[in-house]
Amino acid sequence: MPGPIIDLTIYDSEEQLLAGLRRREPDACACLIKRFAPLVYAQSLRLLGDPDEAESVLQQTFIKACARLDGYEGRSGLGSWLYRIATNEALMQLRRHAPRVALDDVAETIQADEIPQRTTLWSLDPATAALDGELRAELEKALAALPETLRVVFVLREIQGLSTDETAAALGLGESAVKVRLHRARLRLRELLATYMLGH
Amino acid sequence: MTCDELIAHLSSYIDHEIDTELAAEVREHIAGCTNCRVVLDTTQRMIVLVHDEGQRAIPAGQRSALFERLQRTFLDQPPAPEADRSV
Ligand SMILES: [Zn+2]
Repeated sequence: MPGPIIDLTIYDSEEQLLAGLRRREPDACACLIKRFAPLVYAQSLRLLGDPDEAESVLQQTFIKACARLDGYEGRSGLGSWLYRIATNEALMQLRRHAPRVALDDVAETIQADEIPQRTTLWSLDPATAALDGELRAELEKALAALPETLRVVFVLREIQGLSTDETAAALGLGESAVKVRLHRARLRLRELLATYMLGH
Repeated sequence: MTCDELIAHLSSYIDHEIDTELAAEVREHIAGCTNCRVVLDTTQRMIVLVHDEGQRAIPAGQRSALFERLQRTFLDQPPAPEADRSV
């Protein structure tokens, strides 16, 4: 059965889309989802590492966005506004993992397996590389393979671009804990990717 | 500076969070140590790669069932106060 046909061109500016959303026009909702859900989902998945949880964060994000539309003033752009709601939702979801996080009492200690082993130069230059599907999949896999305590810090700092103190505040950690976890995450990711890079 | 010390300072060095004296020691070490130079270089490349990849969305087509579920949930929300509530 074919899905609804959505004419994305009827909202050619964010203001028009926003006006449509406030009138609860179904096409406007569809347009909002088409435009932003793939990125919101990708970001939530990277933060949470679990497709089901990422989906639930995605749903909560759009439900909350819908409920708060009338308070949205349009200063930050719809994308970054949605993105901020999604990050807060994902962090709330992560706090429900609290026991799991607390068990990792060695989070601030460099582990033996994080000492660099593979010291061959990568031929790939990120500045010019057009990433192929395989490398993309490899990167996502490596991120997902990080322990949650490290992944969350890494994603907030390196992908979402939060500063050390913003990350510390968001996670209720000290700044030095954020720095050590970022360091550990970087060493691990480098090592995880090095194996793949050797063959390329 | 030993290799272990260099690895310990690697992140702070990348983030320009160490003092100039220590940074000079790092540079001196990597000038003479191929392994550490490679580790620094590949770590920086990894950061760029992951950052760039992290700005990418998952193609909607790949997860169309997910986005359809989302759209249904979204449209099932109570309509605006002035709208007709009949289902
Ligand atoms: Zn060395």
